[in-house]
Amino acid sequence: MSAKKMFEIIPDGTKINFVKLFKFSVPFSLVLVVASIFTIVTMMDYGVDFRGGAEVQLKFTENIQAKNLRSSLSQAGFPNAIVQDFGAPEDHEFLVKLQGEEDQLNQITEDVESSLSKAFAGSGMQIRKVDIVGPKAGAQLRISGFQAMLWALIAIMIYVGLRFDFKYSPGAVVAVIHDVIIVLGVFSITHLEFTLQTVAAMLAVIGYSVNDTVVVYDRVREHEQRNPALTLTQHINTAINETLSRTLLTSGTTLFISVTMYFFGGMAIRDFFMAISLGVLIGTYSTIFIAAPTVLFFNRFDKGQQPKKAPPETTGAQV
Amino acid sequence: MNRSWWVRFGLFLVVVTLSVVALIPTAMDFDEDTSFPVESKINLGLDLQGGLYMVLGIEFSQVYRDEVKTYAQRVIRMVNDEAGIEATSRGLNEADILDPKYTLGFVDPLKRDQARDLMREFYSGYVRVTSTEGSSLEFALTRTQKTQIQEQAVGKSIEVIRNRIDEFGVNEPEIVSQGDDRIIVALPGVRDIERAKDLIGQTARLEFKMVNDDIPAQTLMGWVEKAREAGIEFDNKTMRFSEYLRQLNDFLADDLPEGYQMAFEKNSRLTTEDAPMIPYLVEDESKLTGEQLQDARVQIDPQKNEPYVSMDFKTDGARMFEEITGENIGKRMAVILDGNVYSAPTIQARIGGGRAQITLGGGGFNSIMQEARDLALVLRAGALPVELQFLEQRTVGPSLGADSIVTARTAGLIGCALVFLFIMIYYRLSGVVAMVCLTVNVLVVLAILVGLEATLTLPGIAGIALTVGMAVDANIIIYERIREEIRKGVSNFKAVDGGFDQAFWTIIDANITTALAGFMLLNFGTGPIRGFAVTLLIGIAATVYTSYFVGKMIFEFYMNKTEGQDLSI
Repeated sequence: MSAKKMFEIIPDGTKINFVKLFKFSVPFSLVLVVASIFTIVTMMDYGVDFRGGAEVQLKFTENIQAKNLRSSLSQAGFPNAIVQDFGAPEDHEFLVKLQGEEDQLNQITEDVESSLSKAFAGSGMQIRKVDIVGPKAGAQLRISGFQAMLWALIAIMIYVGLRFDFKYSPGAVVAVIHDVIIVLGVFSITHLEFTLQTVAAMLAVIGYSVNDTVVVYDRVREHEQRNPALTLTQHINTAINETLSRTLLTSGTTLFISVTMYFFGGMAIRDFFMAISLGVLIGTYSTIFIAAPTVLFFNRFDKGQQPKKAPPETTGAQV
Repeated sequence: MNRSWWVRFGLFLVVVTLSVVALIPTAMDFDEDTSFPVESKINLGLDLQGGLYMVLGIEFSQVYRDEVKTYAQRVIRMVNDEAGIEATSRGLNEADILDPKYTLGFVDPLKRDQARDLMREFYSGYVRVTSTEGSSLEFALTRTQKTQIQEQAVGKSIEVIRNRIDEFGVNEPEIVSQGDDRIIVALPGVRDIERAKDLIGQTARLEFKMVNDDIPAQTLMGWVEKAREAGIEFDNKTMRFSEYLRQLNDFLADDLPEGYQMAFEKNSRLTTEDAPMIPYLVEDESKLTGEQLQDARVQIDPQKNEPYVSMDFKTDGARMFEEITGENIGKRMAVILDGNVYSAPTIQARIGGGRAQITLGGGGFNSIMQEARDLALVLRAGALPVELQFLEQRTVGPSLGADSIVTARTAGLIGCALVFLFIMIYYRLSGVVAMVCLTVNVLVVLAILVGLEATLTLPGIAGIALTVGMAVDANIIIYERIREEIRKGVSNFKAVDGGFDQAFWTIIDANITTALAGFMLLNFGTGPIRGFAVTLLIGIAATVYTSYFVGKMIFEFYMNKTEGQDLSI
């Protein structure tokens, strides 16, 4: 039988009682979510897309000190310029962040170029990228970014409700919101900037996390139909165990890509893949430990068909 | 192998062949005028080839104000014409700048009510009476009218910008509206960014100049040819059109009659590519400018059933227009926007009253209609200079884009190699099948990008890489199902069949939910971010095809050949 030769990360017949672990995972996640909301509100660094202002990426052929750049910019009328090293030191690249009135922003490229090319003549200065976002556009982008995430959640909730049962919908959505909040929490505490790319990454994470959750739900439903006599708790345990290797394998392959892209894909998409990698990790965790208990929780309100509590101590899943 | 399999295999061959053919010009870097059946290459977004991306906002308050004033004048004239009612202007109320109101005064409330009824009869749908008090009446624009004004303002701003970009010579500029009040201008490959910004930021310049028809067109053509022989030739890649005009007029200074200069009508304003240009000899000084024009609309002559353009001049403009037309009957007057001739109608008679009609040349109803719309748009663009605000400006230097492609592509390839390696170790021969599916997947995604003439951006490359990571998921779901079946002790043949069957709806559900997020992103995103959504969505569609259908096809072939003896999974 060829089954013997199969390479398995999760051995056949694994029966971990996940439902029993929910009493640890739910409070753990709650703490993480509350802490993340706190750091998002208090510490999140909004990028130029949402904050408004200007961001100029400069490259030199010679070695230049950030503090010299800062003082030249200050003399040129940008006393609050923030200058950061960007990328590898041998690239001599800098990111300059500027604030100003709308009229000033419109002129910013010329102003920066003329003042710096004088101060650093012969250093091969090159303006590689300029982003100027007016205050109005920043506000607009904030609103539409938030709307896109909200609509995605609503659409997914409706789809899951129609395809499965509305008792599943909240689980998928709670898990996704959990993932997004924690990823953004990590972003805020590590001072990674929240940009348009982050919003795109969050939508990809929403897609990925729901995808992951739906596969488990699919299994739960299948077992429910096949064995209506058993409790939902038992079905959930069986479904998670059966899909466990798939859940981990898919996270693994996606992480292969996102981690490689993070390290080798260049500075421009580094934060994007940071968000994706975090999202995949947290999304995998939430599929098992958050989406499932939420279904159990909402099932209590479901026409009172189920026992009031999860049945005590089933020894793992039984099929 | 049954017939259904051969059909699917045929389809697979067609898909692969088409994809490969679509990608050859990109891979081989063909020129555009190649003899190869496919010309289009993958469009690189401006984050990859450098360029300028802008979001412009339109200030509507000023447009509404002008429009409500125009209606005040019209109402005053209309009530006088219809019922001999005297109405006076009592001023503009701009408490709400997005809903300006205008007050008219009458001799008594009775006349006021009469006027109100007339307004309802003549201008319902355009203006609404907001309040009546004593002998005055206050009105404002209706919502439908404001929406129409918005659409027109956006439309004409786009026309004006396109006109200027054309002069600048950019390959594949993208000028589109976003929402109700914003315009996106994407100029990939533009180098002189400051100049491009200046050009777009100006307000439109509309002029009316008399045409000199004494000199025959052949002579004008001859002059253009003479200049060309002397090396003065328009090339949209190296010079701006206004620069060409200046050089040409300098060169021909001795030939041109005193007080006249050359101007051109470009036959197609949408492309810069070799559109034939009709030369005109026009006066140096403009007789009238857009500032004197109040409005221009397309109307249809009920007798001839032919569209024409009607122009309304402001008070002083009307007087000037009457003089000019009186002096120049039988001559042509060129309508010039930003230096380009758009039309040169012949003056038929002295035109008083501030209202003129431009009837258009031959052709069917639709082509005349199109021409009339374009001309009205041009006239209005000059008549109502809309102020544009720069909301966002993003510029990317060419070297950054080139660097980005190389690093992102390399990293993507490394990531894919890791996935392939892992999947082959884990699933053995079945892993190789998955690898084939994934390779075809990427091929199809890229080919569809070419087919849709979509733009590949840096986040787009990220989307493709991510698609590979997530597409394996479909293979994994199937393979894990097959393994489960095998463990149950089912024959290999049935296991494969059952695995694919049971995995189908899971794969569909999982991918649809991801696609929902993708659609929201498509809706939200602009520029590069949109590129991510596009590749993600195309990737999802391709995944369902390649991982499920192609995978199944290969397995059926394999099981058939080996009679299902040995399944390497």
